[in-house]
Amino acid sequence: MSADLLPEHPDFLWRNPEPKSSYDAVIVGGGGHGLATAYFLAKNHGMTNIAVLEKGWLAGGNMARNTTIIRSNYLWDESAAIYEHALKLWEILPEELEYDFLFSQRGVMNLAHTLGDVRESMRRVGANKLNGVDAEWLDPKQVKELCPILNISDNIRYPVMGATYQPRAGIAKHDHVAWAFARKCDEMGVDIIQNCEVTGFVKDGNRVVGVKTNRGTINTEKVGLAAAGHSSVLAEMAGFRLPIQSHPLQALVSELHEPVHPTVVMSNHVHVYVSQAHKGELVMGAGVDSYNGYGQRGSFHVIEHQMAAAVELFPIFARAHVLRTWGGIVDTTLDASPIVGNTPVDNMFVNCGWGTGGFKATPAAGLTFAHNIATGSPHKLNKPFALERFETGALIDEHGAAAVAH
Amino acid sequence: MAETAAPATSYEKNLSLRVSPAAQLRADFETGSVRGVVELSEVAFLTMVGLRVNRDSDAGQRIAAVTGGLPAACGGVAGSGETSVLWLGPEEFLVVAPREAHESLGGGLLQALREALGDGAGQMVDLSANRTTFELTGPRARAVLEKGCSLDLHPRVLKAGTALSTEVGNIPVVLWKTGEETFRLFPRASFADFLGRWLLDAMREYASPEVP
Amino acid sequence: MLLISCPNCGSRDETEFHYGGQAHVPYPKNPNELNDRQWAEFLFYRDNTKGAFAERWLHSTGCRQWFNMLRDTVTYEIQAIYPMGTPRPDAAGRTTPDTGTASTAADSTTTGTAAPDISGTSTATTGTTPASTTAPEGATK
Repeated sequence: MSADLLPEHPDFLWRNPEPKSSYDAVIVGGGGHGLATAYFLAKNHGMTNIAVLEKGWLAGGNMARNTTIIRSNYLWDESAAIYEHALKLWEILPEELEYDFLFSQRGVMNLAHTLGDVRESMRRVGANKLNGVDAEWLDPKQVKELCPILNISDNIRYPVMGATYQPRAGIAKHDHVAWAFARKCDEMGVDIIQNCEVTGFVKDGNRVVGVKTNRGTINTEKVGLAAAGHSSVLAEMAGFRLPIQSHPLQALVSELHEPVHPTVVMSNHVHVYVSQAHKGELVMGAGVDSYNGYGQRGSFHVIEHQMAAAVELFPIFARAHVLRTWGGIVDTTLDASPIVGNTPVDNMFVNCGWGTGGFKATPAAGLTFAHNIATGSPHKLNKPFALERFETGALIDEHGAAAVAH
Repeated sequence: MAETAAPATSYEKNLSLRVSPAAQLRADFETGSVRGVVELSEVAFLTMVGLRVNRDSDAGQRIAAVTGGLPAACGGVAGSGETSVLWLGPEEFLVVAPREAHESLGGGLLQALREALGDGAGQMVDLSANRTTFELTGPRARAVLEKGCSLDLHPRVLKAGTALSTEVGNIPVVLWKTGEETFRLFPRASFADFLGRWLLDAMREYASPEVP
Repeated sequence: MLLISCPNCGSRDETEFHYGGQAHVPYPKNPNELNDRQWAEFLFYRDNTKGAFAERWLHSTGCRQWFNMLRDTVTYEIQAIYPMGTPRPDAAGRTTPDTGTASTAADSTTTGTAAPDISGTSTATTGTTPASTTAPEGATK
């Protein structure tokens, strides 16, 4: 078949401009958070002379590798506020961005397998309700009604003793989310520059004034770092440290199946989380590999462990085949909460440390980070997540709701 | 108040009250064993003592005199008569002896070790209830273990008389090759049921006639 | 799955080990004199090197001893394995004097009251290529 017989290429959603010599602001990282930040900078703060620099291809890092779970049932007030704001934005964004990215509010269940789990889960349901987050406690029978393929018998190693349930939670099509933001950014004049790797920063005293890249130096008033997986590397280039450890995190999909799994099921205790994507593949995530790693791959025994847990909880999965496994790099903090705010370098801002679950926060991270970059001081939602908290001790310990499974 | 029965004093009576960690699998081990091919059994209630001592210290040498030596390196097994000492770490050893060696049955091993250590730097702890013992024997014993152990178990590498801390079927065990076709596995008591069932499952294929 | 050469036991699967984070981070000599920033550095800040990284590992299922390892965090290649309390070797296996704040005192990183005696075992000695330690017979994969 010759090329002229092929259908015309559909409209491109964004341009591929050459970098200009100067911008009002540069966002490092063309993933979900970087694109959302650029979107809100343009929309809420009128900053359109800005660029998003992406070292690879748009949304090809963790944005392409996550398991797309969206929920807001976090324990602490600070977390509930920012994740719930994100969820509210998810609910209006398809219309605002004029793009159906298949946001599906099919609910998320967090299973409890021990008495300790049960107590912690009930506490979290109570905390969620006080924060206006929809949450309920399900007994095993109700769990089974919502997700009939779950094994709730009590003769397994970690029986299902109940679950928290957030009906408004769900999943979205991650790459469509990125494309939706990218198209709107482009429409408003934002330059999205792919294949543009940051190699250093230009500083005037303690103030950042430019970004060195493999495509030349770009002058800029402000820099926002949103490069999950390489936050520490960029911070080192800029001359400061972050309390971040980067770990491999693995996920996998099965081949396509008829719809069997109507909701999202997560279990911190046995390290597994499962949903069924719109196309039909079962999407599952594992826990992080214990060691630091930038290799975008992890060890097989982590996958094996996760599959053992999945098959015990969902016996029907025993005959499904794994189609593909992959890994991303997650930037973890000691309190399992992100860092969004100012840095020790003037006019440089950082959005990092979302660990294994930054996808769900994409809109709120973008909104608050844009506010922080535009005004120089944090939005009320990201103020508690400042870097200083590791010195003040005002940590936001979300291990119970966040540490393993997102 | 009614007079209560005098406490049992005979060793036989005491024994009848004990339940070994894999006792519930005894019949399964019996039926799952393939005679002359691969056989599995639990050797219950062996006397085990955890030792922490520097083998070159005075206390170490006094203890070595009781046990018949302390092994020098990974894999090593020392001992004399029916008492064996397995190397667990540079200064950590596991003494394994018959059940009769335990002081509850009148044996003198623990007291002898206690006296040998004296006030020297180290530790001796009765670990008899910590682990149980599985014995896997037969020409297919190695093949069964190879399904869940990533050490090289081939006889040109692993000689009889070697004991190694490792994993079998994802369970941490001390694996002791006691004979050319015989292995002893020491899983912790709480893992005994799982490992026992795992071994039975791994043995099952050898009950069928070999496919030529 | 990493294949890790324990200095005592030889080459074993990663599943037998536990990760212990960055090596050569000494407890502050005078913790009471640290300001909040310095205390935060000790508690929460660790290097997150992309490349050769010195880290601690514990052979938890084997000899239960800690050791140090130099590993590339991108390729995951293990470049050197060396005892606790000894300086970090460079990628070629030679030791270089510590330049940072790391303590090389024998008791600075080991647990318990005394450093474990690992003389007489196959522990790599300073100045050799420790990754190629010889393991006792029967211990290697």
